[in-house]
Amino acid sequence: MQTTIEHGPSFAWLRVALDPGDEIQAEAGSMVRRETQVTMTTHLNASRSAGILRKIGAFFVAVARKVFGGETMFVNRFRAASRGEVVFAPALSGHIIHKAITPGARLFVQTGSYLASAGAIDTRVRFGGLRSLFGGEGLVLLECSGAGDLWVNSYGGVLPIEVNGTFKVDTGHIVAFDGSLDFKVRSIGGFKSFLFSGEGLVCEFSGRGTVFVQSRNLRALVGWITPLLPA
Amino acid sequence: MHFEIRYNPAHSLAIAHLGAGESVRAEASAMVTMSSGVTVSTSMNHKAGGGFMGALKRGVLGGESFFQNLFTAIGPQAQIGLAPKLCGSMVTHELSGAGDLFIQGSSYVAAPESVTLDTKWQGFRGFFSGESLFFLRASGVGPVLLNAFGAIERFELNGEHIVDTGHLVAFTEGIEYSIDKASAGWIGSFLSGEGLVLRMRGRGTVYVQSRNPTEFGTSVGRLLPARQR
Repeated sequence: MQTTIEHGPSFAWLRVALDPGDEIQAEAGSMVRRETQVTMTTHLNASRSAGILRKIGAFFVAVARKVFGGETMFVNRFRAASRGEVVFAPALSGHIIHKAITPGARLFVQTGSYLASAGAIDTRVRFGGLRSLFGGEGLVLLECSGAGDLWVNSYGGVLPIEVNGTFKVDTGHIVAFDGSLDFKVRSIGGFKSFLFSGEGLVCEFSGRGTVFVQSRNLRALVGWITPLLPA
Repeated sequence: MHFEIRYNPAHSLAIAHLGAGESVRAEASAMVTMSSGVTVSTSMNHKAGGGFMGALKRGVLGGESFFQNLFTAIGPQAQIGLAPKLCGSMVTHELSGAGDLFIQGSSYVAAPESVTLDTKWQGFRGFFSGESLFFLRASGVGPVLLNAFGAIERFELNGEHIVDTGHLVAFTEGIEYSIDKASAGWIGSFLSGEGLVLRMRGRGTVYVQSRNPTEFGTSVGRLLPARQR
């Protein structure tokens, strides 16, 4: 399998050349084009090793999120009968980065930032609070472990930050972070700053590891457009 | 008349350079700047007539009519700056008279008068939310200015290829297409998030864009307050 990230940093897409037997899975709706020898099947984004109960749970969460809006938890898997090409792109403007997952290491990916993965990667959904379920301010994360490759997309540019100690990031700007970091979702200050600072929730990281931050925030765009809409 | 494209890939601007007496037709609202000595007239390609089928087509498109502005240079060296609505690249496709170009409706920006644009509806409207596709057919000789949401890729098709409807910009005559489910089954196609795709066959040139306007629209739109009706 050969992969190339093109048209970054503003409008990046992931171009994949699959050899026979290769498989790549990608976020629902992200396919731009594919050659006909590449076939597509739709699956629930639950790990293959997951028990039946967890799969059923993930299915209901996926359908609920599909109905209520939000990223689905469905993925499409692409395989090639003979060498063939498929291209994936995220919905928002921005970049794509590649991360290799090695056994023992984990990477948390904000669900909207998941684009594609290959290899034996296990994913499980982690909620940063109940409101996250319905597209609120919280954080819905995919915990990725195993061994393989992962491609994540950002809204705007993507900036890696080496954390050693503690570091706060607005939840809307998180792309992904190392599993070696501890994290806690909280409001930035007291109740007053929660209401008036214009900052929503932050994720407070501690320990050592890398946090990938995006330079734009979808909720900020929405907050800017909303008052301009006709009543 | 020629187009000069600046500021690709993110915020492209095209400048149509006109000699005396030359003119260019552009999609309504695309004009950004205009030098002196240029006259403007607006034309509407009415899709009237066509009997029942014509009415049906108009109905399907929601009474769509296609307005264009015709810019004509009175003096020499006139310039008209043109820009599309969304961020992204622009590109020109040179028509030599050998084959027409089918352009996805919102990807067309401008063309000189030597290019005829047939706005007769051809395309489809899918069952999936808001997904519709209509093609303009450009024929004649001259450059056609196209815009993309995001980057634009031009590739040569020889055989068969599957393209997401939201990523298609244009394709040349000689390519056949059919509308297909993205997945083998309907449920899979719905859950796959791909909705409908185009199965394209033949030999020719295809232009695709790296972002899908509908995907972007729904990503932002689902976070906006509900419209009051």
